[in-house]
Amino acid sequence: MFRKLKLTACLTVGLAMAAFPTAVSADEIIIGTATGQTGGLAPYDGPAMQGFQIAVDEINAAGGIGGKHKIKLISKDTRSDAAQTSIVAQELIDSGISVLVTPSDADPSFAAAALATDAKIPAFSPAASSPTLPMMGGDYMFANFPGDNVQATVSAEWAHKQGLKNAYVLYSPDTQYTTLPLYFSDVFKKLGNTVAGEGTYTIGQQDFSAEVTKIKAMNPPVDVVMTAAYEPDFPAFIRQLRAAGVTAQVIGSDGIDSPTTFSLGEAAEGVVFSTAGHATSGSALEGFNKKFAAKYGKETDTIFSAIGYDLMKVIEAGVLAADSIEPQAIRDAVANLENVEGVTSMITYKGTTGMPVRQVTLIRVKDGGRELVAQPSPTADLVPAPRMQ
Amino acid sequence: MTARTWIGTGGYVFFLVAAAVIAASIGGSIERTLIVFFISLIAVLGMGVYSGNSGILSFGHLAFMGIAAYLSGILTMPVAMKKVTLANAPDFLANAHLNFFSATVVTVIFVMLVALVVGIVISRLDGSSATIATLGLLVIVHGVIIGARDITRGSQSFFGVPRWTDITVAAGCAVLAIVIARLFKDSVFGLKLRASRDDQLAAGAMGVNVRMQRLISWVISAGLVAIAGVLLGHFLGAFSVKKFYFVDTFALLAMLIVGGMATVSGALAGAVLITLVSELLRRIEGGIDVFGFQTPTLFGTTQIGIGLIILLVMYKKAGGLLDRLEWDEILLPRLAGRQTGPAASVVEAPVVALEGTLEAREITKAFDGLVALDKVSLSLKSGEIVGLIGPNGSGKTTLLNVLSGMLPETSGKSFIDGADVTGTPAYRLGGMGVSRTFQNIRLFSSMSVRQNVSVSALDKWPLTKGRAAGAIVDLALQTMKLTEVSEVQASTLSYGDQRRVEVARALALNPRFLFLDEPAAGMNREETDALLEDLKGLRERFGMGILIVDHDLPLIMKLCDRVVVLNEGHVIAEGAPQSVQKDPQVIEAYLGKKGSRQVAEILTE
Repeated sequence: MFRKLKLTACLTVGLAMAAFPTAVSADEIIIGTATGQTGGLAPYDGPAMQGFQIAVDEINAAGGIGGKHKIKLISKDTRSDAAQTSIVAQELIDSGISVLVTPSDADPSFAAAALATDAKIPAFSPAASSPTLPMMGGDYMFANFPGDNVQATVSAEWAHKQGLKNAYVLYSPDTQYTTLPLYFSDVFKKLGNTVAGEGTYTIGQQDFSAEVTKIKAMNPPVDVVMTAAYEPDFPAFIRQLRAAGVTAQVIGSDGIDSPTTFSLGEAAEGVVFSTAGHATSGSALEGFNKKFAAKYGKETDTIFSAIGYDLMKVIEAGVLAADSIEPQAIRDAVANLENVEGVTSMITYKGTTGMPVRQVTLIRVKDGGRELVAQPSPTADLVPAPRMQ
Repeated sequence: MTARTWIGTGGYVFFLVAAAVIAASIGGSIERTLIVFFISLIAVLGMGVYSGNSGILSFGHLAFMGIAAYLSGILTMPVAMKKVTLANAPDFLANAHLNFFSATVVTVIFVMLVALVVGIVISRLDGSSATIATLGLLVIVHGVIIGARDITRGSQSFFGVPRWTDITVAAGCAVLAIVIARLFKDSVFGLKLRASRDDQLAAGAMGVNVRMQRLISWVISAGLVAIAGVLLGHFLGAFSVKKFYFVDTFALLAMLIVGGMATVSGALAGAVLITLVSELLRRIEGGIDVFGFQTPTLFGTTQIGIGLIILLVMYKKAGGLLDRLEWDEILLPRLAGRQTGPAASVVEAPVVALEGTLEAREITKAFDGLVALDKVSLSLKSGEIVGLIGPNGSGKTTLLNVLSGMLPETSGKSFIDGADVTGTPAYRLGGMGVSRTFQNIRLFSSMSVRQNVSVSALDKWPLTKGRAAGAIVDLALQTMKLTEVSEVQASTLSYGDQRRVEVARALALNPRFLFLDEPAAGMNREETDALLEDLKGLRERFGMGILIVDHDLPLIMKLCDRVVVLNEGHVIAEGAPQSVQKDPQVIEAYLGKKGSRQVAEILTE
């Protein structure tokens, strides 16, 4: 019984201490992260927050933002659940944060965005790529990834420059992300080319024989196939497509920027996809990857860690521009940021609804490895407006 | 309803209101935590109304929650918003703009209608097949929500739902839910359903239409879960279909199972425990400062902790923390069974139509190749005691099962007062005055003696008022000398007493025809003699016809007016006890040819 009491007492003390955070000096900026460290979002939010932490440590080691605002980071897990995100976000807001980081998925970010808007605190999702999120999430919601529409514009412009003329797009209406090819379709047509067909699939479908037959039978023949399918659909699709003898250029999106794609062998050779960055030798991203390996003792295997690092750089730039740690001032400053130097790209928020203008990297799968194709910025006039459906 | 039910319900209400007031005064994230707790509690209570009372685990209730969240979201979203986000929605939904209350009412009614349609199918299934069917429901609804893109945005975020759920609304609905859940459990519906959970066959024989009771509770539980769905949608403001799938199903089921599925207090205890533990661990996992030492950040501690709690509770108490008794039943045992109305002091014997005949004509029952009954005919008049004897496996119990509607006959017909009742289900025969006990005792083991007997006494409810049923119960208990143990849990009684409860329960159906399947099994001579007197008394007092199966031949001989002997599915003898006793065929059937002569000599001495 006594041992039980002791345990209870310890827990109570611990709880009380956690509930009343230690006093904060006036110049310290508190940043709260409510991200999915466990559950379905962990593959994205986990690395993103590891990268974020590297930037925080760096800035604090240099004396804080602008040499005066040390960063106090409060990290909480949302278990990848929307209701939990809403509780945790409120908790962070209650503890006096100036900036909120939300999960890399739209639903929990929407839930948090509503609270951030009420509290007039800027909120950032590290890796959400849907342009709908910052647009519908309100003035205080920002994202930090090349938007679906931006990625699609870059891919379409590249295909156009390659002289490809007749496209087939394969999309799934199941999620916002997998409708990315429809943006491609818009831009590709605007550039004076034809889209021979827009096929659909169901996520997890894996049998693409009907679609492949359709593509093969197209006359005039299709010379470029664009899809935002990812595992397990993309590997299945590309294998079936190549097995049927279709040799058209295939373009994918950042969803296939994973080790699987590079291990597909012959089938994936020549596939080009858009993603957030590429570590060429001597690049900032390569520098970041080294820092990551030094801190965590292993190479990063995803671009999301660099995206997390860049997010902190954006916040830093916002605080510097505002010369304040007051949330409203930071929000206004971020909305006008131009050309923030991230390790993945130059990042601009000015003139957007919260989805940054970023360079997009095009990678080709070559000999089972990455080959940098280009790192262009999209032509602004061509970027389609975010689609609601 | 007993006074204690009301005290128990009042206790819950006080607890919930107090929690809400405290949380609202602290505000901020504590308030939001409490709102989420209330929403989970409503869902768990809803699931408990069905699963707890029927004993059938449901994986499908999150489907109702999802339908509710989407529907009330669509009904309340500003029309301008819908033009942008749900451009292809049909006009009647696109132009609808209801307030919170009307949207909730419309949604709950709609969900209950959906549940009614689904329930008609699911209530026909038993045990694990029903559970798997509920799983199918979850998967199908998940697919339909994704497919209905024009109104749900598929698997994308569904946003723009007005955030109207505050602590007052959530607490109010939780109070409503817990009152409904408790009153349902202690209602006639709840009693009958719980009887079917403990023993489905016996419940049927006592006049309970199990399918109907399951359907009723399924629809009510869907309504409660729908309220939770509405609140959740209006709390989050944005959600997607994955919020209403396996992850949350298991989170809510964990609360229900840890707390104890069978009680309302259990649902509450489970929701409180899981919420408290996860809140505690959640604060520790981020790394805290303990006397100057920073503990490391270990995300995932919460899930592991909750997993361990579930394991621990299941290991120590498989039925959950509060597996049988409500908090008031534990803390206020003395208030047991006190009725809110005045107790009936004089117990009148119910009037039984004296004239009546039950008749079986050429009943054949074959189990595949095995013919258990072959053209057996038998009649039982009210006021008559008929013994049915025969060696083991001769078809006695099978005959009782066919006559009481629990097994369909292969051919042949049965009649009550000349009317054909062939194929009538057991629960309806119960209403027509056929009642029985079981060879292997089949009591509603988790329920008290009084509740056991009440199940059959309430057969004609609401035609028979609750108080009249109470009088029937008192009479049955008195008759079988069980008044003293009326509040004891049936399964804890001695063997002999359990047999008496079986008889009392059968009596409370006001039977004209009573089947007793080996009532003296396991009794010693004194107990058997006492039983003999009791049974004779029954006939004198109530005038019903009794068909008794027993191996205790002296009992049969002393008690019965007529004896029917079965062997290998055939009637081999019928008549007065004395003549049957001497029938060589009977003796041979019992002892084989060799011994039969010797025994015949002994018997005739």
